[in-house]
Amino acid sequence: MFLWDLVFVNPIANALVILSNVFLGNFGVAIIVFTILMRLLTMPLTLRQIRSSRSLSALQPKMQELQKKYKDPKRRQEETMKLYREAGVNPLGCLLPMLVQFPIWIALYRALRIIVGGTPESVIGLSQRLYPWGYIEQAVPLENNFLWMDLGQPDTSLILAFIVFASTYVQQRLATPTTTDPRTQSTNQMMLWMMPLMFAFFTLQVPSGLGVYWAMSNIVGVAMYYFTHGPERINWRTVLMPPSSAPAGRQASRREGPSPKEKEAAEEAAEEPVEANQPTGGKRKKKRLRHGRSRGKRKDR
Amino acid sequence: MLSTLFLATACAGIARPEGWAGPTLADDRLVASIERGEMAAVDIEDSSGRVLWRFPLKDQRHPDGSKIDPEAIYSTPVVADGAVYFGAYDGWLYALDLTSGDIRWQIETGGPIIGSAVVQDGVVYAGSDDGRLYALDAARGQERWRFKSDDSIWATPLVADGVVYVASMDKKVYALDAASGEEKWHFKAKSGLASTPVLAEGTLLVGGLDSRIRALDATSGEERWDEPFKADSWFWTRPLVLGDTVYAGSLDGKVYALDVNDGSPKWEQDTGAPVRAAPVLLDDVLLIVNRKGKLYGLDPQNGQLVWPLPIELAKTVLSDPLAQGAMAYISAQGGDLFTVSKDGRAKLMILTD
Repeated sequence: MFLWDLVFVNPIANALVILSNVFLGNFGVAIIVFTILMRLLTMPLTLRQIRSSRSLSALQPKMQELQKKYKDPKRRQEETMKLYREAGVNPLGCLLPMLVQFPIWIALYRALRIIVGGTPESVIGLSQRLYPWGYIEQAVPLENNFLWMDLGQPDTSLILAFIVFASTYVQQRLATPTTTDPRTQSTNQMMLWMMPLMFAFFTLQVPSGLGVYWAMSNIVGVAMYYFTHGPERINWRTVLMPPSSAPAGRQASRREGPSPKEKEAAEEAAEEPVEANQPTGGKRKKKRLRHGRSRGKRKDR
Repeated sequence: MLSTLFLATACAGIARPEGWAGPTLADDRLVASIERGEMAAVDIEDSSGRVLWRFPLKDQRHPDGSKIDPEAIYSTPVVADGAVYFGAYDGWLYALDLTSGDIRWQIETGGPIIGSAVVQDGVVYAGSDDGRLYALDAARGQERWRFKSDDSIWATPLVADGVVYVASMDKKVYALDAASGEEKWHFKAKSGLASTPVLAEGTLLVGGLDSRIRALDATSGEERWDEPFKADSWFWTRPLVLGDTVYAGSLDGKVYALDVNDGSPKWEQDTGAPVRAAPVLLDDVLLIVNRKGKLYGLDPQNGQLVWPLPIELAKTVLSDPLAQGAMAYISAQGGDLFTVSKDGRAKLMILTD
């Protein structure tokens, strides 16, 4: 625990206090700026996660075929791994970046609890975390109030919980790729609601400083998506509308196996995230080309 | 996995105030917070540890009809004229009858009360997290004046020679006229101040969260030492002055002995854990208590250990001990009360209702 604090919690706590001092003692602004910095720092991981997720969904139709073809679980597993190898996809590719970000989340949570705990005991605890630098010492005590919130206490007004819910939903909706597999589709749909609800529930339990971090992190995530994919690739109406369950029903009725044309269409759909329901020319062509090139390389091996 | 991890973190919840009120002795009874958010009087005359009264009782209410819930008590009770005065984390300042525990009066401030109250010449002085210092009539609780600082007041005020000295988290030490509350002077430090000041022959000594302890001229507020003494972490304790030496514990785990005249260090002793409890003297033994509940008996002359090993209470201690001759009473977090003698023996007080 000592090493964990030394490597993660204490540097984050000190960085937050420094930022608070830079922004005239406004700790809420410090959290927002810190979130933006952290998101920028972990941007390569986030992009990698998006790419891995897309590659995996592109393989969905082939994996479905394997599931139908091989009834023996061991063989099916072997063939699935072979498919991953051939496609150059690491199934842990989308999990790993998230795992890397976990220590930051947990450390930030701990740091926030220590900094804006609000009780005299937590202020004494803070003294053990801060570096003995004059600039940091000047920042003590920290201002806990930000907008309508006490950052050390849960926000019971439900406003922050709603912002966290809405921002998590939008980010989830953007990041969730469409799939032809009914089971995956149903899981995705469940997660699309579960995650925002879970985060909104946690927001009501934890210091609101952490809720500000989650909300801001989501907003930055959406902004990153907007700038990396381009505005024409995001159909906000589709994003904000609850997903229809009709496609799942249609997929369920295709259990006998799709026609080659349908398969091709499904493959194409699988390659595009949800916002691409109304794709436009240029970028989509480029994207196809990228996939094409990588397939070519794999063939060369 | 995601939900498990988040449940683990979310279940930790938010920090809960525990309180660190020290005990106070009044005739044959000890007044102390023996449970979180509860004040009590304990009979110590026949060493039975009988609890004479507890506050609050289930049916006790504020004037507006709401139930009394002090939540936590950081303010060491003060006894004067048969009444017990203390502030609580719920923001109320209470005056209880010492004999019965009944409420004499109660006044609400705008924030939690962390520092202790001081009673002098029939006036109660108490600071609040709302940044105000309140001066109230001790008998009825009527407000005489209030002074507004720019941030929370967590320190206990000091009243001497018609002047109230109070340190604030707004980084300033104020000297106020005790009768009117008018500001005489203020001194600005580099960081918030939570330590209770002490006076030593016209010199005001105050520690701060900038890890420094300063000596100020009590009449002008000017600094007396060439430069303040700097430790490795904050000073939150009330210093103790004996002759020309000031003793102060720091959250860096050390206790420092400094020359009152120039602030030069005489000796230091490391206790290994933050020291918030004020140093007290048991006859000729300097008692230091750290947060981990380790008690050190030191020679005030040179800081050498008088007891070969520290006494371990195995409890968190942040409250100021109460010295009474060769014995001290210590209140640990959670409400356990201990007695410690100058020969290094500690005993848990068994309380009975």
